[in-house]
Amino acid sequence: MSRFRIKDQHMWAFFVLPGTLLLVLVLAFPASQSLLYSIYPEGGGSFFTLANYSTLWGDAVFRQVFGNTVLFVALSVGSHLLLGLGVALVLNQEIFAQPLFRLIALLPWVVPDVVAGIIWKWMFDPVYGAINDLLIKAGLIGTHVQWLANPRLTLLSVIFVNLWRGFPFVMLILLAGLQSIPRVLYEAAAIDGASRWELFLRITLPSLKKMLAVALALDIVWEVRRFGLIQAMTQGGPGNMTEVLSTYIYKQYFQFFRFEYASAVAVVMTIALLLVSLPYIWMISREE
Amino acid sequence: MDWIRKISWAVLFLGVMIRSSSLAGAQEKVTLRFSDWHLTESPWDKTLADAMAIFEKRHPHIKVALEPVSYKDKETKYTVESAAGKAPDVFHVHAFSLPMFFDKGFAMDLTPFIEKEGGNKFLEAWYPLCIKLVMHKGKVHAMPGDYMSMVLVYNTELFKAAGLDPKKPPKTWEEFLEYNLKLTKAPEKWGFAVLGAKDPGFELRFSPFLWSFGGDYLTPDNKRSVLDSKEAREAFQYFIELYTKYKVMPPGVTSMNAQDVRTQLAHRKIAWEIGSGWTAPIVNAINPELKAFEVLDAAPLPVKKNRVTTIWLSSWIMSPHTKHPKEAWELLKFITSKEMELNWFVNNRVTSSRKDVNQEPQVQGDKFAKVIASQLLYGKVVPQIPQWPEIIDAFTTAVQEAFTEMKTPEKALADAHERINGILARRR
Repeated sequence: MSRFRIKDQHMWAFFVLPGTLLLVLVLAFPASQSLLYSIYPEGGGSFFTLANYSTLWGDAVFRQVFGNTVLFVALSVGSHLLLGLGVALVLNQEIFAQPLFRLIALLPWVVPDVVAGIIWKWMFDPVYGAINDLLIKAGLIGTHVQWLANPRLTLLSVIFVNLWRGFPFVMLILLAGLQSIPRVLYEAAAIDGASRWELFLRITLPSLKKMLAVALALDIVWEVRRFGLIQAMTQGGPGNMTEVLSTYIYKQYFQFFRFEYASAVAVVMTIALLLVSLPYIWMISREE
Repeated sequence: MDWIRKISWAVLFLGVMIRSSSLAGAQEKVTLRFSDWHLTESPWDKTLADAMAIFEKRHPHIKVALEPVSYKDKETKYTVESAAGKAPDVFHVHAFSLPMFFDKGFAMDLTPFIEKEGGNKFLEAWYPLCIKLVMHKGKVHAMPGDYMSMVLVYNTELFKAAGLDPKKPPKTWEEFLEYNLKLTKAPEKWGFAVLGAKDPGFELRFSPFLWSFGGDYLTPDNKRSVLDSKEAREAFQYFIELYTKYKVMPPGVTSMNAQDVRTQLAHRKIAWEIGSGWTAPIVNAINPELKAFEVLDAAPLPVKKNRVTTIWLSSWIMSPHTKHPKEAWELLKFITSKEMELNWFVNNRVTSSRKDVNQEPQVQGDKFAKVIASQLLYGKVVPQIPQWPEIIDAFTTAVQEAFTEMKTPEKALADAHERINGILARRR
């Protein structure tokens, strides 16, 4: 028996093993499968080719989709940070019914992506939609605006809905950050005659730096992967105006059955996400 | 001792009876998974549930588990499940998805079952085109279901209100435009609407325009696009200008799916659409106040050079991974039987791929079915090739670009032509 006894210092391996196996199963296996698929030629043939990647760079639609994704993510994340910070600052004050307002601010985040997309698609409907009805009654517009069918407005409309849907996540992180700033810092600065703007610039923002970095990194990853909202609202249209990487991969894989090409796009998306996440990973590891 | 012998015989008899009844009771109960997009649609959902209750009563050892799926997501669901070997035992798709399922080996060869039922004699009940469409490498890999042609479905009351005679629907596409101009009272009402979203069903509505003008998507061998032809350009221009120039379609057409269009028909926002047997029951379910079965009427599609319409065929697939092929075949046979196909018609007004059903008085006497059945003679199907979903996506993109004036119709169509040739060349 003693031959099979495990030394105490090796016991950790047994505790780590189930989690590691689970990770391999649900993460490493599909990821490696995608990587393998991406280097198979379309429709079968010899193993290992970079043809799918060269097709990808030559594909005008892919380039447009990539550009759409960058724009969608940049505007979504930027607006999330601005609105999230603004609402967090308000909700950090001692205002009337503060817990209720905090709850209300979180509600959009609770609504599933697809449900939010369907609701807003109806609200944006040019004939029946509540948005046009309200704006016409308020005298702000004179005719039915085609929010989801006008190429100049569609992406902005989707980003607007995504702002509503996604800002509570950033707000929650920043609110936690705001609550951890010692009050004494503000009191000392106020005694020295600092204005509210100076308090914000010199104390609040520097103290929130780490939280902002966390929110920024996580939100970028989330927004690159955003699928249900766009699929429910526009399915990538009109034309390819709102087609982003996640909807493009879905279409290539599940509608066109181009498994190899879809895998190549997915690999490119993963690499892009890893590159974006590197500063965050570096920051975390430096802290540890 | 005679009484002992009698009792012994009685006990033995009882034992045999109990044993045999317990053996019968022990026959394994089989559960079949049955999936259909109609399970999410009223009034289809009730008709299907009632039919399955009849099937279970006739086959006490079979239980049918219903798996609803949305029309749009059915291919995705069945493909993923088939790839994992876990597709429903029996599922419903439309005909233009069949090549993809056949190509990937996701449909069971039904020939052995059909041979047992009588082979070709058994198949004689169906229209030959329907059987041709479910064949793969000379073998039957699916059973045909609904079989319909696309027709004009219009609101007779709105016709009268616009000073048009409901008994005289337009015969040409020129007349169709004239009627639309009279029916349009924007921003309250419009003449015509068509689904312009990237949704399945677009080609059912658009293709008759293209074919009627003498154009087509691909060459007969499906090797190249012919969207650069004069006829295709004319058809495309005409279709786009209904929206951009004549404004006889409601705003937001590029985000409309089939249900949005039917909702507008149900609420008298539009006077007509291109539909089929399913239109009146669904419109009636959306707004019973309209009295769709009385107010709506059907007419053949207008003509330019050719009288032609799109054929709609749905098909039933048996998963090659089913653990109960015998029972699954019983279910397939039941849902495609004359009795059930007639039942689908009576409850849901869809005409059948079975000739014997469409000859029944219920079908012949129905004002919608009569027109739909008459147009089956002029029916055409979109190319049955695995690349079709990608091709129609490229084409719908062009339609949306032209509708929203991102590109001129000529430029949008030329780009689609080039892209489709690229798709075909890649997999040649």
